[in-house]
Amino acid sequence: MEKNVLPARKSRYFDRWWILVAAVVLLILLLVFLIPKPYKDILLFVRNGIWTTIYITIISFLLVLVFGLLVALARLSKSMVVKGVSTVYVEVVRGIPMMVQLIFWYFAFPALIQNIGDALNIYSFREYNAEAISMAILGLTFGYSAYMSEVYRAGIQSISKGQMEAARSLGMNYFQAMRHVILPQAVRVILPPVGNEFITLLKDSSLVSVVAVADMTRRGREYQAAHFIPIQTWIMIALLYLVMTLLAARLVTYLERRSRMER
Amino acid sequence: MQSIISIQNVHKYFGQVHALKGVSLEVSKGEVILIIGPSGSGKSTLLRCINRLEEFDEGQITVDGIPLDTAENINAVRTEVGMVFQQFNLFPHLSVLDNVTLAQKVIRKRSKAEAEETARKLLEKVGIPEKADYFPGQLSGGQQQRVAIARALAMNPKIMLFDEPTSALDPEMIQEVLDVMLNLAKEGMTMVVVSHEIGFAKAAADRVILMDGGLIIEEAPPLELFNYPKEERTKLFLSKVL
Repeated sequence: MEKNVLPARKSRYFDRWWILVAAVVLLILLLVFLIPKPYKDILLFVRNGIWTTIYITIISFLLVLVFGLLVALARLSKSMVVKGVSTVYVEVVRGIPMMVQLIFWYFAFPALIQNIGDALNIYSFREYNAEAISMAILGLTFGYSAYMSEVYRAGIQSISKGQMEAARSLGMNYFQAMRHVILPQAVRVILPPVGNEFITLLKDSSLVSVVAVADMTRRGREYQAAHFIPIQTWIMIALLYLVMTLLAARLVTYLERRSRMER
Repeated sequence: MQSIISIQNVHKYFGQVHALKGVSLEVSKGEVILIIGPSGSGKSTLLRCINRLEEFDEGQITVDGIPLDTAENINAVRTEVGMVFQQFNLFPHLSVLDNVTLAQKVIRKRSKAEAEETARKLLEKVGIPEKADYFPGQLSGGQQQRVAIARALAMNPKIMLFDEPTSALDPEMIQEVLDVMLNLAKEGMTMVVVSHEIGFAKAAADRVILMDGGLIIEEAPPLELFNYPKEERTKLFLSKVL
C-alpha cells in the first residue's frame, strides 16, 4: 500500500437529524389537516408573515456577511484611526439590546433626520419618513455586523502568520493574500459560528414585530387579538420558527461536511 | 561587479531589543551566501528585511536597483525574490499544483494552462511530479519543502532567500531538500541561506557570514572561515556546530 493515497470519500452519508426536521414538519401537517380549525386558519393568516420573516432574515444576513467582514478587516488594520473607529462601533453596538436598536432606527432615527431638516431647512430631510421593512433590515444589519465581525476576526486570526508571510513574499498585496490564502482557510474555521449567527438572526428577526413589520410574530399577535386562542396560535408560530431554525442547522452541517471533503 | 542586494547600515528594534545593530552587506549576482550564528543573533531578521517581511528602523536596502521604500517597490521586489520558510508555509487548502500556480495567475497574470505547465516543470525539477494533485497535509516534510521551493521558483525570481529550510525536517529528509538547493546554486541562482548545513556551505557557498548580537562578526569563503577563523567568537561558535 502506498502511504500517501488520498483518503476514500464516503459517497453517501445520512445526517440523522433530518428526522427531527421531518418530525416537526409532520406535526405541523397533522395539526393543519386533522384540526383545520384553528390550525389551518392560523397558518393561512400568518402566511405572509412567514415570507416577511424569511425575506428580512436572508437580506439582513447577506448584508451582515459583507459588512461584518469589512468591520473585521478594519479592526485588524494597522491604522489606529480605522482600528479605533471600528472597535468603538463593535463595543457600542454589542452593548445595546437589539430591540432598543431596532426601535431607535425606526422611531428615533427618522425624528432625528426631521429635526436636522427643520434646523437646516432641508426639505427632503424634513419630509423624511422611515419605511418599516428597510429600517428593520438596517437595524438588524447594523447590530449583527458587530457580532459577525468578531466571528470573522477570530477566524482570520486563527490562520498562522506564516500564511500571510508566504503570500506576501510571493508578491501578493494584502487584499490578494486575504482573498486567495487567508479567507478561504478562515471560512472553514468560522462556518459553525456563522451558522449559529444565522440561526440567532432568524430568531431575533421576531423583534421587528415591534417596529410595524408584519412578520410571523406580529401576524401571530394579530390573530390572537382577533380570535382569543393564544395556546393554539403560539404553538403554531413556535413550530414554524422551529422548522426554519432546524432546517438552517441542517444546511450548516451540510456546508461544513462539504468544505471538509474539499481538503 | 555590481551587487544585486545592497544592505547599508540596517538597524532593527523589537521594542527594547536592538536586533540588528547596523548591518551592511553586498551580494553579487549569482553569489551563494550562507549566514550562520547562534539563535537570536539576527540572521533570520536580516534575511526577512531583504524582502521587507520585517520592517527596519534605519538604513537602506536596495534589491536589483529598487530601493525598499514605497509599498509599490516592496511588492515589485517581492515578485523578484523567492522565499522559503522553516515551516514551509504551504497553503493547506490548495493542492500542490494550485500552490505553485496561484501567484503565477494572480501576480504574473498567466493563463491556467501556462501556469500549470510551469508548475509541472518545476515539480519535475524538485523531484515530485507525481504529487501534483495531493494536498500539502498528505506530504512528508521534505516533500513539502520542495513544493515550497517550486512555488517560489514559479515566479521566476532573481534571488532566493532560505530561512532555515532544513531545521524543521527529519534527518533523512534534509538531503533531498539540500540537493534541490545545490542544483539551484549550480544554475547560477543568487541565494542567501540562513542555515547551519556546513556540508551545503562547503559544496555551494561563495561566502559564509557569521552573525552574533545583531552584527556581522566575520565573513569569508567557507573553507577559510571553517578552517582558519580569525575572530574568537567565530572559533567558539564553530567549536559547537562542527
